[in-house]
Amino acid sequence: MTSEEEMIIQTPDYEDNSYEEEEKEKSEKSDKEIIRFQNLSYTYSSKTTALKGISLSINQGEFVFIVGESGSGKSTLIRTLLGELKPTEGDIIVEGANLKNIGRKEMPYYRRRLGVVFQEFKLLEDRNVYENVEIAQRVIGVKKDKRIENCNEMIKLVGLSDQSKKKVRELSGGEQQRVAIARAMVNKPSILLADEPTGNLDPNNSWEIMGLLQNLNEMGTTVVVVTHNDNLVNSMQKRVITLQTGEIIGDKLGGYIQ
Amino acid sequence: MSNFFYGIGQGIKGMFQNKMFSFAAIGTVTACLFIFGVFFSVILNFRAIVYKAESQVGITVFFEENLAQADIEHIGVLIKQMKGVDSVKYVSPEEAWENFKKDKFENDEDLIETFGDENPLKDSASYVVKISDMKQEPTISKDIEALEGVRKVNSIEAVAGSINNFNLLVAYVSITLIVLLILVSVFLISSTVAMGISVRKEEIAIMKLIGATDRFVRFPFIVEGVLIGIIGAAIPVGLLYIFYGSASDYIAKQFPSISKWFDMVDSVSVFSVVIPASALLGIGIGLLGSAHSVRRHLKV
Repeated sequence: MTSEEEMIIQTPDYEDNSYEEEEKEKSEKSDKEIIRFQNLSYTYSSKTTALKGISLSINQGEFVFIVGESGSGKSTLIRTLLGELKPTEGDIIVEGANLKNIGRKEMPYYRRRLGVVFQEFKLLEDRNVYENVEIAQRVIGVKKDKRIENCNEMIKLVGLSDQSKKKVRELSGGEQQRVAIARAMVNKPSILLADEPTGNLDPNNSWEIMGLLQNLNEMGTTVVVVTHNDNLVNSMQKRVITLQTGEIIGDKLGGYIQ
Repeated sequence: MSNFFYGIGQGIKGMFQNKMFSFAAIGTVTACLFIFGVFFSVILNFRAIVYKAESQVGITVFFEENLAQADIEHIGVLIKQMKGVDSVKYVSPEEAWENFKKDKFENDEDLIETFGDENPLKDSASYVVKISDMKQEPTISKDIEALEGVRKVNSIEAVAGSINNFNLLVAYVSITLIVLLILVSVFLISSTVAMGISVRKEEIAIMKLIGATDRFVRFPFIVEGVLIGIIGAAIPVGLLYIFYGSASDYIAKQFPSISKWFDMVDSVSVFSVVIPASALLGIGIGLLGSAHSVRRHLKV
């Protein structure tokens, strides 16, 4: 493993912290900016402007909902953060690094800092639960023994230990999304991006997934969730950023704007 | 190292998972390399015929009447010293008459008897000069003609020209065909692998989004392409080996008259080139085809 890779996957071993240390760390973290969008605009080649001058900042350890109607620019914002789309204007700064300065070759190493969960799960259908989680560890070159330990730990955390040998296509939607979360989190990224993670799930499964994301946030991960599920947003009382036609029209703590 | 073996494993798995595409790609490489092998064998045998023809034709040098044997021998020495001359053979008037009788009269005793003991070719002693490179034939003929004591030189300019032209034609046609076949193979395997990859573009996109490097994503597809190339090369080589051996036996048995003046090039000579060339082409085609196809899907 290169020193660059080591640096990227290094995250605090949050499980060993005492309660007091965790609380202290949490309050310190909450003041530290982890993501900043600076006057960000994005226009598709079809001349449709999806984002217009977005400026916002997300601190380490925050749980943020990004809401808005279809076409408001929520997913475009996530895709620019993932480096899938290059901003037409403005900057995205993640953990102090400006995405503008990250070249094609460095992009995979940048992406390893982020865990990503999608509405349609995006799992490798022909592989089992374990293999789907393991691929994220293989990508960063983790050794076999450590890989087995980390994957089993994460599969246990999402409650799928007894199903780890099952092909993912045999699982329910909620279970598949748990696998996706385990894969996103196994490398212990500092940021978890979830694009409509409950979009394909029934209310019960949606609540379970949100509970899981909340747990991960409590363990120290910064969680950014794109959704249009009003009930979840209103019940969870987190920071909510509302987008409309590519612009921020609301940014407040504790509930959804109606 | 762990990811290296993982990539190989995934490449093998991918080949079996996409059976239809793998089968089509192997078929494409097999067809192209089989045609390549057939052309190569044919070309090699053509060249063998040309070499044989070259070695059998020679310039005939006749001497002035009543030239002393010592002068004839001196002319022989001078010819041997000329650049491009392979061998010089003296044909006495007696040998010339014997050859004539055999060729023209087909040993017809009645006809031969009309000549009695007289040798009508008594002034037809000659040298048959073999040359190593047909292109030098006109110069050598001219130089021999200029020697003192030489009456006539039967030049083989027309034959030499034809052999040269035929040699050139065979070379051009074979190079063109082989280049065309390689291009067609690369295009076909690239399209076939691209079809297989487009089915798995979602998988590639997922890998990229979880932070896989291009090398990590590309490697299993390269392994798959190379495997397809190796299998696609092994099949036509095997088929050709059987086919070539049978063709040699068939020609020898069924066409003994052809076999008299033309021996098919032996299998070892043909396959010592066909096997490594096919393996290299197969691997190269597989490598190029898969690398080209996967590149389009890496821009995530």
